[in-house]
Amino acid sequence: MSEAALPLKQRLKLSRFFSGEAPTAGPIVLTQRRVFILPTQRGLAFVLLILLLVLIGFVYNNNLAYLLGFLLASIFFVTILHSFKALAGLTIQPARPQAVFAGQAGPYSFQISNPGSQPRFAVDLTLQSELSISLAAEQTQIVTLYQPTHQRGWQLPGTLTVSSTYPLGLFRAWAPLRFDSPLLVYPKPANQQLPFPESGGGQDKPGQNRRSGDEFDGVRVYQRGDAIRQIHWKAFAKGQGVHSKYYSGASSSELWLDYQQAPGHHLEERLSQLCRWLVDAEQAGLRYGLVLPGLRLPPDNGAAHYRNCLQALALF
Amino acid sequence: MPFLPSTRLMLFMLGSIGLITLPHAWHIPPLLFGFFTLLLLWRLLSVWQPRYLPNRFGVFLLMLLGIGLLYSQQHSVFGRDAGTSLFVVALGLKLLEIHGRRDVYVIVYLAFIVAVTQFLYEESILMALYILLVCGVLLATLITQNSQAPQTLAALKTSAAIILQSLPLALVLFVLFPRLEAPHWSWLDNDTHAKSGLSNTLEPGSIAELSLSPELVFRVKFAGDLPPPAQRYWRGPVYATTDGVSWRAPPVLGRENNPDQPAFTGVTYDYTLMMEPQKQNWVFALEMPTQFGAGLRRNGVYQLITNKNPGDRAEYQLSSSPVYNTGGISKTERRENLQLPGKPSEKIVELVKQLQGRQAGPELFIGNLLQHFRQENFHYTLSPEAMPDKPIETFLFERRAGFCSHYATAFVYLLRVAEIPARVVGGYQGGQINDVGGFLEIRQADAHAWAEAWLEGRGWVRFDPTAAIAPERIERGVNVDLQIASGAVNFSPIQLDAKTLSWLQRGRQLWQSVDYNWQRWIINYDTVNQRAFLQSLGIDNFVKLGYWLLISVAGVGGVLAWRLLRPNLRRQDPALMLYRQFCAKLSKAGIKVDVGDGPKTVAERAKGLRPDLAEAIERITAIYIRLRYQSDTEASDLQVLKKLVASFRV
Repeated sequence: MSEAALPLKQRLKLSRFFSGEAPTAGPIVLTQRRVFILPTQRGLAFVLLILLLVLIGFVYNNNLAYLLGFLLASIFFVTILHSFKALAGLTIQPARPQAVFAGQAGPYSFQISNPGSQPRFAVDLTLQSELSISLAAEQTQIVTLYQPTHQRGWQLPGTLTVSSTYPLGLFRAWAPLRFDSPLLVYPKPANQQLPFPESGGGQDKPGQNRRSGDEFDGVRVYQRGDAIRQIHWKAFAKGQGVHSKYYSGASSSELWLDYQQAPGHHLEERLSQLCRWLVDAEQAGLRYGLVLPGLRLPPDNGAAHYRNCLQALALF
Repeated sequence: MPFLPSTRLMLFMLGSIGLITLPHAWHIPPLLFGFFTLLLLWRLLSVWQPRYLPNRFGVFLLMLLGIGLLYSQQHSVFGRDAGTSLFVVALGLKLLEIHGRRDVYVIVYLAFIVAVTQFLYEESILMALYILLVCGVLLATLITQNSQAPQTLAALKTSAAIILQSLPLALVLFVLFPRLEAPHWSWLDNDTHAKSGLSNTLEPGSIAELSLSPELVFRVKFAGDLPPPAQRYWRGPVYATTDGVSWRAPPVLGRENNPDQPAFTGVTYDYTLMMEPQKQNWVFALEMPTQFGAGLRRNGVYQLITNKNPGDRAEYQLSSSPVYNTGGISKTERRENLQLPGKPSEKIVELVKQLQGRQAGPELFIGNLLQHFRQENFHYTLSPEAMPDKPIETFLFERRAGFCSHYATAFVYLLRVAEIPARVVGGYQGGQINDVGGFLEIRQADAHAWAEAWLEGRGWVRFDPTAAIAPERIERGVNVDLQIASGAVNFSPIQLDAKTLSWLQRGRQLWQSVDYNWQRWIINYDTVNQRAFLQSLGIDNFVKLGYWLLISVAGVGGVLAWRLLRPNLRRQDPALMLYRQFCAKLSKAGIKVDVGDGPKTVAERAKGLRPDLAEAIERITAIYIRLRYQSDTEASDLQVLKKLVASFRV
């Protein structure tokens, strides 16, 4: 897992200390290249304490005072190594994040593993939210941190800072990491509940504005993609297997959600409205298709179709 | 989020603060220590009952009370006692207001300062170990502060490890950090601890008080052979003036005229003498000192005087020669050493006459007198009856039992009646050899008094009348252990319990040897010692010292870093590391490897995207799975995996 050596120019770049190196996809092992250590305020106060002790030793010609001062000075030094040890070797790998709607907190998950035989106490993880974990020897933990989302599309996580002040709080070791694991952000669904559009995208048959389930038609064996609310629970409870109720309206008429028909002054508003319709249609268990300029998703329903449609909106 | 120190943290901290302050109970005024104890107990109680904590106003009032107490007891904030009291009281007050992590740090730092003030009172090895242990607990407090789910034992272990790792570096700094002679600030001196020892006056009984004291006075390390026991006389004050009861050392001032260097013949002993803290600035050299360092001078009665603070431990390089001739005597000196408090009594004059004091030469008289002590049923005892009135006559004619000061004073008195210049010399005689450290230990129990007479052609000559009565005293010295065990000096060796005693002695010697080296190398490592030591290493200027400091700190630090950081990188499963390399190569080729994807899933996906590599991918995956998860691995698997991963090209 040896990483390519950094050219000197990049190595000296100041941003490396604060926001980390260029984003990478793979797991990052914390090594001396990634981990930075600086004394904390308490560490600086500790230096003053050491100076005071040595001064007492000088004024009173007291060798034991000197010795205690030097011991604390050595402890100060040794703590640097321990601070590095608190983070060194940790491996951090991003997990594929779950998509969210814009405005929701974007969850980014990371797998943190401690390959060493040393337990790690108090490792702080900061994205926009903060979390403190400890890892036993050879333990792996998955953590989820949140970062607000504003715009649809792919959103990269910001700088994940892994830090620790263990053991004495005199130093803070930190590693700013950037990962190439983007989160898909769907458009924010519009607030107002407009009726579904009237006509299908480019089809002769007018679109349905009826809610599904108007006319109960029968029961068929459950197929993947059938909405949960269509499941014939009574039959399921009787032990007859999973069946879906079959509505004539749902099959015979299809809903086309067309960009051209979505109200709104500009692109984002229209996409937002389409998103609203998509959410509503999926919840209602309708079969719906999506028409965007240059893209046409035939009517269907179910989780996979729903995701495809939303992704199309997000990336449009 | 308000900061709530855990109960464990509080107990840890309060416990260590109690321990670190405890020895000050003997050092600072009881009122102030009581105030501190009250605050500590208050805080301890509040760990379980937080509502008892005073509010801000309460703390303010307590602070005023503390300042008032400090002022009433110390009147100042400078100096050792006042400074110590100030820090102890501040620590106590700070305990009552812990609002954040920052306050915990302030308290721990204050506790370290209080710890260092302990060393201003006591520098023993035991105190150093005690403080080191408590500092370990203080560090553990900080560790508890910085861990998620702290465990007491783990925190203590970590702090012990940190201290042990720090010690080598601390020692390097200790040895190489330049010691500068600090100016002596008089306002820092308030050392009022009484020390026992010889004084300016020799009262009957003054030495008997010392005879049971095992307190160390000085230690001597000889460069070569030790002088025989009978020559181990360590010269101290010379008592020449008497009022018949007590004898006084003549005032040192006015006798500064440096006496002639005695003529020395025979062997010379070179030795290092380390004085323990004393009341007087006397240095007890082996009779007679021939050479001594710059910090010493010899007064008119051949006694060495130091110009250092006698309250500090100090080391001297000396040479002595037991065979000497001090030469002539001045008129003043003769008069002073013939001084008598009034006319001697008839009985005494009769005794002197009987011993042929005036007719025969002085040497014959002295021989007769010593013979008299030996033959006339004189005894040596450390617990004689009190002789408040005319002690010399009572001793010579009635009691005939006494210890060295009785014999020496009576001897000198009789010589003076016989018109032989004589004086009493105080000091120490003998000393115990420490087998472990190879040095002599001289204790208060070795305090002794003997006589000196001036003889024509020979100068001042030592006579020890005690040796005539109790030669064992001189030959064997005082057995301090036996003495303390039996509660009295006893020269007929009663076998108390020889085995126990020998263990006792052995243990004491071992301990004394450790203590000697502690004093010598740690406590007494000053500017002079450091310069000598560094010169033996070839460091003679500050630039060189700077290099040495840099190199040794870097060296020790490097070794430490290597030791500390090594294990983490080794423990990984090599198969896992190889597989990660493989995954990294796949990601580079655009084949995404997600967290939680098993090796088989990865392989399927990779094969789907790159059918051309299917064979290699399959083999790598199979071997990896075998190495990681199955028991039927082959010895060569790891090697094969290594080769395959290395040759895997995307």
